[in-house]
Amino acid sequence: MLSIKNLHASVEDKQILKGLDLEIKPGEVHAIMGPNGAGKSTMGYVLSGREGYSVEEGSVTLDGTDLLELEAEERARAGLFLAFQYPVEIPGVSNLEFLKAAVDAQREARGEEAVSSKDFLKMAREACKQVHLPAEFLKRGVNEGFSGGEKKRNEIMQMLLLQPKLCILDESDSGLDIDALQVVAEGVNSQRSPDRSFVVVTHYQRLLDYIKPDYVHVLSEGKIVKSGDASLAQELEDQGYAWLKEQRAADAEQSA
Amino acid sequence: MSSWLQTAVERAADVSDGLALKRQASLELLCDAKWPTRKTEAWKYVPINVWERAELSGATNDTVSAPVIDGLDSLDVVFVNGQLQSVAAESIEGLTLISLSDAGAQAADLFGTIKPDRHLFGLVNDVLATEGVVIDVAAGAEIEKPIRIVNLLGEGAEAHTRVLVRLGAGAKATVIEHYSGNSLSRNTGFAEYQVGEKAQLEHYRFALQTGEAMSIGGCHVELAEHSELNSTLVGFGSALSRIDVDVTHAGSHAFAKMNAIYLLDGKELFDLHSTIEHAVPNGTTEENVRGIVADNSRAVFNGRIHIHRDAQKTLAELNNRNLLLSDRAEINTKPELEIYADDVRCAHGATVAEIDQKALYYMQSRGVSRAQAQVMLNFGFINELVDQMPNEALAEWLRPQLRERFASMEVK
Ligand SMILES: Nc1ncnc2c1ncn2[C@@H]1O[C@H](COP(=O)(O)OP(=O)(O)OP(=O)(O)O)[C@@H](O)[C@H]1O
Ligand SMILES: [Mg+2]
Repeated sequence: MLSIKNLHASVEDKQILKGLDLEIKPGEVHAIMGPNGAGKSTMGYVLSGREGYSVEEGSVTLDGTDLLELEAEERARAGLFLAFQYPVEIPGVSNLEFLKAAVDAQREARGEEAVSSKDFLKMAREACKQVHLPAEFLKRGVNEGFSGGEKKRNEIMQMLLLQPKLCILDESDSGLDIDALQVVAEGVNSQRSPDRSFVVVTHYQRLLDYIKPDYVHVLSEGKIVKSGDASLAQELEDQGYAWLKEQRAADAEQSA
Repeated sequence: MSSWLQTAVERAADVSDGLALKRQASLELLCDAKWPTRKTEAWKYVPINVWERAELSGATNDTVSAPVIDGLDSLDVVFVNGQLQSVAAESIEGLTLISLSDAGAQAADLFGTIKPDRHLFGLVNDVLATEGVVIDVAAGAEIEKPIRIVNLLGEGAEAHTRVLVRLGAGAKATVIEHYSGNSLSRNTGFAEYQVGEKAQLEHYRFALQTGEAMSIGGCHVELAEHSELNSTLVGFGSALSRIDVDVTHAGSHAFAKMNAIYLLDGKELFDLHSTIEHAVPNGTTEENVRGIVADNSRAVFNGRIHIHRDAQKTLAELNNRNLLLSDRAEINTKPELEIYADDVRCAHGATVAEIDQKALYYMQSRGVSRAQAQVMLNFGFINELVDQMPNEALAEWLRPQLRERFASMEVK
């Protein structure tokens, strides 16, 4: 489904991704862990087409389509979804209006019929309910004044409505209380299917207890340095990232 | 003296009614007044020569019906090309709604008592406005139905109308001033509001003249003790569009909430000068002005807050935010703070921003096209103030018109 090959990307002349490889098949859940500043969010931004990020090398395809050629909105319409680590506040634009515009645009791009306002409202209410957000949140400005946890639930709510093929969840678990963590995890699990894949970026084993990943990767200094199954997450939780330093030192010695 | 003013003064000589005394005084002031030039600070950006030179054919007085606002059950007063066409006949206890020409002495009490004489075109209106309306609300009366004053300006019209409003102590009323027209015309529309003790005025001025319609107007409000003003002004620019707003806190503990919006495209000009006088202690003013200027248009906002020496414990906040959609568009925003009292809280800010790139990207990442996201963001920026309008029917009526304007505005 998603194929990232030797991806090199930088922002403001700072090299962040330095040869990232990742292969994801339909229905798989991949967890990505790694120290602060490793480039996890950058990966999400580069994939979703944020301005200001330049790709020097490598390729990204989604179901064979070259993502890097597309505008951000076209990538979304192709089925890519990024749940932001820091969702953006948009005062004056209501959540409902925003969601309707997004769903309309995506349906139109896929040649599907438009949803009536009434039906859409129903769908949106249902999605709110699923992530335990009161329906009033639809009337409020997008993320405006939402608490950290509410913002994260709002991201998942959008995912439920947009029904993407590939979901990248960037720390959707950070700042959540214990119940909300479960709500978010259930939201994700309800969407798991043989033709939908997930990239779950997280710092904690906790979320992965609920969302069982097929693979766990460690991203460090702009590339995947270790991959394994779900047990790798537990290992990291126990050991931290000190071993990365030793590995790096060893690598340096070898090349010297 | 400018030749246009000369003819105005000559025409004024023919006006004789119950307001003769005030008209005469204004005429004398006009004769000595200086016609603005590009060097006159307050008129620096206004192409006053366009006003002077326009040759108007004179409009025919067709019967035109006032635009309907869905869900708004209002008492309408309609002027077409400056001529009174109709006044709502419904009689409501506590409300006198009467044309200026029929008002007689009642008008003399209000005419020119609140509007400061420094406004040159206010003086012009003093001497030329034979048409107008008087709204007098008795003490304690709460008028449920909004009163809407519609000014329709057609091709070739020259219109000078006056609105005089008095709210007695504890009275409540909603007044909507609604101007529209897009062809070559000249108009001055001045309104004076005397808001009594503990009275509450909900006020709207929709200055929706566009195109070739030239207008110079004013809203002048005096607030008595514990009174409240909630005002929303919406302006579309035109060849020449200028409004002076003055709010004077004459009684303590008054509260003024003022929102203003302008949306300019093409070569339009909109010039808003606002002056808030805090003459007494414990007054509050919250003024939020937001504008979007596209293409080759120009917005001028001059926000003056004057806190007099006795006006301790004043709370005054003025905020002007602008979005610039093209390199050729211009915003001239100028704060003027004069504070002579020491125990006050006063904030004054003006910003010119470009569109929020992070928000754009966020919306695009959900599949919304960049162009549509831009329109939604622009609309959102303005809609925050529309959302605050107490009258939902008016907000509903306004939104699609604003959207339509946004849709044609391009980011360059
Ligand atoms: N605009 C920028 N200019 C310069 N450096 C940047 C910019 N944006 C990000 N970076 C840097 O890129 C690196 C990777 O950031 P990124 O947000 O991808 O890390 P992360 O792995 O998501 O970290 P965290 O776990 O803290 O969320 C960091 O060192 C960050 O400071
Ligand atoms: Mg991050």
